[in-house]
Amino acid sequence: MDSAANLFSTGTLSQILVGLSRTTILFIVSSGMSLILGVLRIPNVAHGSLYMIGAFAAWSVIQLLGGGLFGFLAAMLVAPMIVAAVGFVLERGFFSYLYEREHLMLLLLTFSFALILGDLVKIVWGPEYRSVTVPAFFQGSAEIFGLPLPWYNLFLLVIGPCIAVFLWLVINRTNLGKIARAAAVDGEMVGAVGINTGWIFAFTFVLGSFLAGLGGALIAPMVNISLGMDHSLIMETFLIVIIGGLGNMWGALLGSLIFGLTQSLGILVWPQFGIAFPYLAVVAVLVVRPRGLLRSTW
Amino acid sequence: MRRSAAPLLVLLLLATFLALPQFLPRFHTYVAAIVLLTALLATSLNLAIGYTGLYQFGHAVFYGIGAYGTALTLTRSGMPAPVAFLVGPLAAAALSLAMGLICIRLSKLYFGMLQISLGSLVWAVVYRWYSFTGGDDGIHGIPLPDAIASPKGSYYFTFAVTALCVFAMYRIVRSPFGKVIQGIRDNPVRAAAIGVDVRLHQLASLVIAGFFGGVAGSLFVVVENSVFPDMMFWTFSLEVLIMCLLGGMYTFFGPLVGASVIVLLRVFASVHTQYWGLILGTTLTLVIIFLPDGVLGLFVRRSLPKEDPGA
Amino acid sequence: MRKSVLFLAGAAATLCMAGTSFAADTIKVGFVDTYTGPATTFTNDVLDGFKMAAEKINAKGGVLGRKITWVTRDDKFKPDIGLTMAKELILKENVDLLVGTINSATALAVSDLARKEKIPFIVTFSKSDKITGSMGHRYVFGMNENTEMAGRATAKALAKKKFVKYWIAGDDYEYGHAIANGVFDHLKTLNPKVQLLGQSWWKVGETDFTPYITQILAAKPDFVIVATGGGGMVNFQKAAQSTGFNKKVPFYQHTAIELSTLSPQGQNAPEGVYGTANYLFYNPETKENKAFVEEFRKAYDRYPKSGALYGYMTAEFIARSFEKAGKVDREKFIDAMEGMTLDSPVGKMEMRACDHQVTLPMFFGVTTKSPKYDFLIAGDVVSIPGKDYMPTCAEIQKARAK
Repeated sequence: MDSAANLFSTGTLSQILVGLSRTTILFIVSSGMSLILGVLRIPNVAHGSLYMIGAFAAWSVIQLLGGGLFGFLAAMLVAPMIVAAVGFVLERGFFSYLYEREHLMLLLLTFSFALILGDLVKIVWGPEYRSVTVPAFFQGSAEIFGLPLPWYNLFLLVIGPCIAVFLWLVINRTNLGKIARAAAVDGEMVGAVGINTGWIFAFTFVLGSFLAGLGGALIAPMVNISLGMDHSLIMETFLIVIIGGLGNMWGALLGSLIFGLTQSLGILVWPQFGIAFPYLAVVAVLVVRPRGLLRSTW
Repeated sequence: MRRSAAPLLVLLLLATFLALPQFLPRFHTYVAAIVLLTALLATSLNLAIGYTGLYQFGHAVFYGIGAYGTALTLTRSGMPAPVAFLVGPLAAAALSLAMGLICIRLSKLYFGMLQISLGSLVWAVVYRWYSFTGGDDGIHGIPLPDAIASPKGSYYFTFAVTALCVFAMYRIVRSPFGKVIQGIRDNPVRAAAIGVDVRLHQLASLVIAGFFGGVAGSLFVVVENSVFPDMMFWTFSLEVLIMCLLGGMYTFFGPLVGASVIVLLRVFASVHTQYWGLILGTTLTLVIIFLPDGVLGLFVRRSLPKEDPGA
Repeated sequence: MRKSVLFLAGAAATLCMAGTSFAADTIKVGFVDTYTGPATTFTNDVLDGFKMAAEKINAKGGVLGRKITWVTRDDKFKPDIGLTMAKELILKENVDLLVGTINSATALAVSDLARKEKIPFIVTFSKSDKITGSMGHRYVFGMNENTEMAGRATAKALAKKKFVKYWIAGDDYEYGHAIANGVFDHLKTLNPKVQLLGQSWWKVGETDFTPYITQILAAKPDFVIVATGGGGMVNFQKAAQSTGFNKKVPFYQHTAIELSTLSPQGQNAPEGVYGTANYLFYNPETKENKAFVEEFRKAYDRYPKSGALYGYMTAEFIARSFEKAGKVDREKFIDAMEGMTLDSPVGKMEMRACDHQVTLPMFFGVTTKSPKYDFLIAGDVVSIPGKDYMPTCAEIQKARAK
């Protein structure tokens, strides 16, 4: 069947690059989820809502500052910070009082917040579609082997590893990060040593929210910003975190790579059923390595 | 004193539900039917999650398969209606067994996530197989035998089936089998140590939960005459989970309460406001903060040890 | 345990809350539609168009001396909630008729309910051709185009063009396949030379089309039929713009030229995209259309989109049909509406008696920049009258007989 032959055509390199640029957004959002899951042990169902707020906030910032490069970069910084602030309020205002509760109740709480935030977005921004255009700097595409790769996708391709490195530095080289990792493995011990675990948890949740917001802000120029965005990524994010290993940053990267690449290469092989490939990959991983590919913090 | 009062109260409750259609307007009878079948669904989920301690995150797929099984049998095969009402739940039970065999090796959160993934695969097949399942349009105008097609008929049928199944589940959790699965929930290592076949019991529990979930699905067909792929989507699984948690996971009637609250809220809040999410979310948040073991947990304290969800 | 039982009894008692409401001397219209999520941008127009017409009619004394009133219920794009809300409107609110919804599964389910309850149901926006086609019946009416109609109209327009090698791509759900098949199957009968090179399908709500676009470009088709639904329209156009897809291969989307798709993108929408639409506020430039647009802008401070036309004409048909019937009787209402022809902003619209589908013109055009507006509009507009592209009554009878 000549679809398999397609895999070896020149389109492949282009598809790989495209798949990698996809990986960036998936990785950024999943790493936030993984962080929260690993340290706070909460599967954050509201993560998608935070992502959506990031996109809408980016739109608002660009409305305020204009669509040029400056406005865009400002949005990429300010929007995630707004989301981080929301995360801070959620954590300090609600989660922090409930950590000793039944684990599943925390899941329920994040679900409640997903509902509340979804409606809050409707109240603040209204139901109409919003759109952000890619700044002129990134418009158009480069030609790779005769096929177009939008400059914006290339930008994502470059930004992804930068964020990964940045995260690695924060988690492994800063004191705060190291303590958070320790708290993920043994929270009681960390507390016994005299460290205020409360602020660790707050830091982690805020960082996780920041990442969700950053994902939303980065994807804003590529999509229709609409209500319902909160549901679009949440399933993939959960699956990536699970196959990567709970709380493991590199796991989130690996999971995102698998997701992004299986989809873009799958399309070459069988365009009609391209969507099935990442899910098949997930099932395959979980059947072979049920606890995820890399070590989880639990 | 408590023991003799309880059956009386149950009888009173049954009598109330029995008499409902006589003095309630049609719409409320219909809502009551929805409450009943959703309560059955939530109770079936609780068998897996509250009593066996399995993180059943994909329960809606059994509900959906039960509904589709019944719907397809009624619309496509020439077989009589009673067969359809067996096909649905049995298909759900079979699926539960199949999925269980794949997922059971995993624990806790992983089990739940794999179950959701597999459930999503089933959903995707139903969603896309337009020629057989009606795809995302669903199936409508499903023919029912006259006795249960009328509003009152469908209500009484739903009531009878729900009452029977809930009673059956009640007997199951009070039976020796029920004690064993609760023991497995609390301490699987110890249960294995005293010679219990943990996997077998968990699988059995899953199959039973799936079966009754499927029954709830076939009741949906009776009340609404339609099926939709949304019924097995993961967001609905979470909603049913919320019903159990809201009502109190460690009591038998908790899920019933949770289901009633959510269904009633959904129907009557939707009528008056478009910000249903805000209302439900706020209500849930308040319940979580002030009622740590769910609504019914207020009355029934659980005295079991906390466990590590990743173990 | 006794307390839990008491609680349940209390819950049963709460079911007895709020009695039914009875319609006073009004004509009560019940809307069941999606007012949550991305679909809201379309459904708000339907409601606003309806309100504009209804308020005008009420100001002139109403219908048969009664005012038109309406209630709305949000189905959140979920068919089971839609069914519940429809039942609530019928059984509790006692509406005289139902209007809605954008979700095809809900529309079909409510249509079946309407048939059982013998209440008229006017469908606005849902595009499944089964509504007035194979699953149509006496109690359901279609106020907008469906996938079969859009497919035929587009096939007519494309058959005259020189494209031979086609590619089909789109959202992987019923609407996507219906539109794609509707266009291509009819195209093939009109122009047997066309070939289908292949197909690509992505999940509904896909955000990054780059991998699909690069793969399609590698296959080198002459033309692509892109079957995206409401939310995917803008996403795909954005991807086309950034990859330059629209400049490399011509493609078509149903509603590509509609205001809802083009206005959010401002001047950055892709040019040269073929599309069909039922309503363009700038075409035709007739007195009726201009007056309609003026009125809508004054009331709502925005340009009307297709939904506004559907909502407006729904109110008009409802009012005139009751007037013709002479009394507020559902059966006489249906009899009166069959075959009725009314003036609309886009010309005469007839409610066909044989299938209860309204005839309306389909506009086929290409996205073009315009000096007058800060968004793109349709250029080279061809207006195809309803009778030229709609399925015939005979074809509908055959479909329903199956």
